[in-house]
Amino acid sequence: MQSDEILTNLKESIVKGNKEAAAEHTTRAIEAGIDFTLILEAGIIRATEEVGKLYEQMEYYLPDLLIAADAMIAAMDILKPHLKAIFDEKLKGTILIGAVEGDMHSIGKNLVITLLEGQGFEVVDLGTDVPPIKFVEKAKEIHPDVIGLSGLLTTSITTMRDTVLQLREENIDSKIIIGGGILSKEACEMIGADDYATDGWAGLYKIKEFIESKYKGV
Amino acid sequence: MSPDISHNWKASINRFMYAFSGSKRIDRVPFFALAMEQMITRIVGISVRTLFSSPKIYANAAIMANEYLHTDVVALPTCYAGPVEGVAFAETNDRKQAIKWFDYRAIFIDQGIICKTDEDIEKLKIPDHSQSKLWNLTFDAAKMVYEKTGFPQVAGLGIWSVVQQLRGVQAFRDMRENPEILLTLCEKVYESQMDLYRNWLDHVGISPFIFYPGYAFNRTMMSFQDAMKFEGQFIRRLQKDTGVPFLLHNCGMDPYFKEVCSEIDFVGVNGSHPLDINYWIDFKKNFPKVTIMGATIDVNRELLTGTPEDVENKVKENILNLAPGGRYMVSPICELPWNVPLPNILAISNAIEKYGIYPIQEAP
Repeated sequence: MQSDEILTNLKESIVKGNKEAAAEHTTRAIEAGIDFTLILEAGIIRATEEVGKLYEQMEYYLPDLLIAADAMIAAMDILKPHLKAIFDEKLKGTILIGAVEGDMHSIGKNLVITLLEGQGFEVVDLGTDVPPIKFVEKAKEIHPDVIGLSGLLTTSITTMRDTVLQLREENIDSKIIIGGGILSKEACEMIGADDYATDGWAGLYKIKEFIESKYKGV
Repeated sequence: MSPDISHNWKASINRFMYAFSGSKRIDRVPFFALAMEQMITRIVGISVRTLFSSPKIYANAAIMANEYLHTDVVALPTCYAGPVEGVAFAETNDRKQAIKWFDYRAIFIDQGIICKTDEDIEKLKIPDHSQSKLWNLTFDAAKMVYEKTGFPQVAGLGIWSVVQQLRGVQAFRDMRENPEILLTLCEKVYESQMDLYRNWLDHVGISPFIFYPGYAFNRTMMSFQDAMKFEGQFIRRLQKDTGVPFLLHNCGMDPYFKEVCSEIDFVGVNGSHPLDINYWIDFKKNFPKVTIMGATIDVNRELLTGTPEDVENKVKENILNLAPGGRYMVSPICELPWNVPLPNILAISNAIEKYGIYPIQEAP
């Protein structure tokens, strides 16, 4: 099988959300001696872009995003050990994420985590109902590039603001991105976060864009 | 703690009923708000533990908070089938570790704990609502609210809102990988909702309005076809089996209001998106018998970050465009968070008094 064909199959298996096929085509690509960065870019990242386009065109919805992200992770699990030899892991960035205190909703947060992990980012998940102090303590320990505060409840805006205030008071200089369907530009300004995303896909792009620009040329 | 006797609940109830029937006898636009645990405990000055310590305290505190905010409706916080149904499932299925109580905010369920595996779904026991402490408290409080105000309460039935509590993010994977197991869960939640409704009738003695949290009906969650499959078909059955009017609530960003109202009969829709008033003008034209509750008054915009003048302008815009001819209620969506400035909430009733007295001239 030609390299192009293997990579096309890998990409399509991710777009269709077929975990087993994604893992199989990644193994085949490695065995065929295809350059690891080419497998990542032409197979996995291209698939992510296609899934994003389908989501924006409303041909894909949350369930399709999730299973595509699962397939992405299956492929990355196989490719990652090979990439480690080439990249310094730190360049890929670390994200600390959690649903703010009082909010038990995990769906949006888990989607973003799956998407980020599928792109090779290191994600530390604090879970749901996370008090501000927990974000502060963990941020001091791991120095994340981005802190993601998630929330679905209309009432979570207050807790997001408290969390941002405590993080800033403790001189945590990570970029803070808040995520949730409840958010708006005005709410983001009131909360004092650096940026906001109203769905998992937008969250992925904002975090990715920030980390890529941060490490550009490093 | 005694309710404000100056509030004319009889006039409020009439307003509420006239809005749904489109009656010309309506005097002004009604105000419907979701003043829940955060707002009630703030206004009355008690914790959730005290609020839920007796039906009398619960009913009186809810009435008092709504009278303070000048609303026309008392909706008890625990009436809706989300976390409170999750509590009933957690207790029945020995998963109490999933329940989280808070001092000044709503009870919550750690999503995806109760039905973590397919086997959990197969073995899931349906709660007996006559044995649920929290639901019994709600039934008794609902009865007291009815006796004191004449308002028959809105009871929240829901399928997807409960499925999400029980199954978490896995529910979305199930849609593509194992729809049958997801439908089994939906079926069990449906049975539970019918048990809840029957118990409501037995305990409260009067049929409530059904305030249906139709969370599936949102583009950010799923396609309309999936929403009909995993929620819509069950709403039709609930409507048939209960025979009572349903109001659809969806507080998401991109709801399928027009699509769902073409398929299922609702007497009202309660939402705050899309934020374009023209969507709602068009909705009113296409669904003249459906009462709009809300439209573009979002708790996280003018109410939270604006001034009383901003709120007044937003309410004015909604009233002048949607209230002429009736079948409109002012309603900020969704639950009022505790940090919404009170002057902003009170600006709603002031704006209604200023612009919402019938007859109302249409916006030019």
